[in-house]
Amino acid sequence: MSLLRIFVSSAVFSFRAQFSWLNLPMWLAMKFTMPLSAMAFFVFVGQFAGADVAYIAIGNAMTVLSWNTVFSVINITSHDKWDGTLPLLLATPAHRLPLFVGRAMIHVFDGMLSVAISFAYAVFFFGVNFGSADVQALILVVFLTAFTMAGFGLLIGGLSFYVRSPLVFANIFTFILMVFCGVNFPIQKLPQPLQIISYIFPLTYGLDAGRRTIAGATLTDVAPLLGQMLIVGIVSIILGYFFFISFEHMARKTGRIEAV
Amino acid sequence: MPKTLRVLYSAFRMSMLHWIADPQWVIPNVIAPFIYTFVALTLFKEASGPFGLYAVLGGGMMGMWGNTLYSSGFAIEFEKWQGTLEEVLAAPSNLLHVIAGKSISNALFGLTNMVAILLIAALVFRIPLGVTNPILFSFSIILTLLSVSSLGLIFASAFVLTRSAQVFTNGLETPIYLISGSMFPVALLPFWVHPASYILGPTWGIEALRIAAGPESISLTFWLNIAIMLLITLAYVAIAAFLFKRVETKCRRDGTLVQA
Repeated sequence: MSLLRIFVSSAVFSFRAQFSWLNLPMWLAMKFTMPLSAMAFFVFVGQFAGADVAYIAIGNAMTVLSWNTVFSVINITSHDKWDGTLPLLLATPAHRLPLFVGRAMIHVFDGMLSVAISFAYAVFFFGVNFGSADVQALILVVFLTAFTMAGFGLLIGGLSFYVRSPLVFANIFTFILMVFCGVNFPIQKLPQPLQIISYIFPLTYGLDAGRRTIAGATLTDVAPLLGQMLIVGIVSIILGYFFFISFEHMARKTGRIEAV
Repeated sequence: MPKTLRVLYSAFRMSMLHWIADPQWVIPNVIAPFIYTFVALTLFKEASGPFGLYAVLGGGMMGMWGNTLYSSGFAIEFEKWQGTLEEVLAAPSNLLHVIAGKSISNALFGLTNMVAILLIAALVFRIPLGVTNPILFSFSIILTLLSVSSLGLIFASAFVLTRSAQVFTNGLETPIYLISGSMFPVALLPFWVHPASYILGPTWGIEALRIAAGPESISLTFWLNIAIMLLITLAYVAIAAFLFKRVETKCRRDGTLVQA
């Protein structure tokens, strides 16, 4: 019970903490404008280039969850450093695993909400057809993509304890997904050596599964992709946790909690 | 040296010194334009036409805008973080001149970003980048740079009054890329977006840059774009001067600067 309580309170406080610098109207404005502007930008570029608009719209609609699950999750580390809460975090006797994993969890659902808004934009503004979609399978695909991407966010967030400005990492890792994960073009268009990198991001599998599900594939059809994505996501969480624990060990040993 | 120029120079120098002291902050400013250009060039790879030019010049313009917007947002935000905004406001120098100096410095970084994008396009993507009219092209770049900086000044005045400048900064980046038609013709956008496009100086600037770089001879359209951009830029400066005066007076009168 104690572990569950730590998990839930870590999830709630990490999400609420962002409202120290963000108010509700601003959060809502961001929620509704950012997905549309990013999607519209690439759709018009694609339209100009004669590319498949639906492919781009779906790719961007699902990638919007990376702002919640990657950018915001890495940003938790950033705020721990800037707001002076890191020593308090390390001083608490709470078990580290629920504390570390819990902090990303509400962002998973926030990310799913962003995807739902983006899907609505894809339908109403860009005419994407969801008529053949298996809705329940699609919801599960989006949830697992958000969950595993939060795992990736925790990995980079864990690594970010070692740098002075995790926000820089947050920017880099949120944007490079657009290149490697098949958001706007199939990964086969990347040079061969770069294609290998694509498979370390859970989003690559999630986008593939999402597009197939929208086209009418069942859960059984996309199960292998979801399985691969879960493995990548769970390995990311384990590695992120290892970085966090190692950082704590180093910080206690050297007394350099905030000097890093 | 006249007083205004001295203030501009000091703010410019201070901004440069900040950048040299902590150069990692340039990454969030330039990552989006680089990634967007990479994606656009990949999408345009199989299309024939002036697409490379659109992607590269658009990417360069985005670099300038990204830097300017960040400088406007963070110029105020950094002063708040460091606790020096009160001193800056209490100094006899005009706040507009201080922010303008910082904006020009950051837009110049944006210019280096444009050069980097041109080099990557030429070396990695093998895009032919022969500029037909180098003199008019450079002339257009400088005027676009000034236009982008003056637009940043308008936003900066509003950022004095809010705690959420950082959120605005993130939220305004892509909409401007989209509305100004940085990587595709504005005509592709829905007609109801066109008025917003045409009151943006960068929309006219990017068009002038395309004409100066493209194979066609310089026509009246080029000069028309330049003239409209200049008029819009002058209007931006006038609006920014008015807003800064109002904001400064309000902050002094209400004593709400630190709370904002």
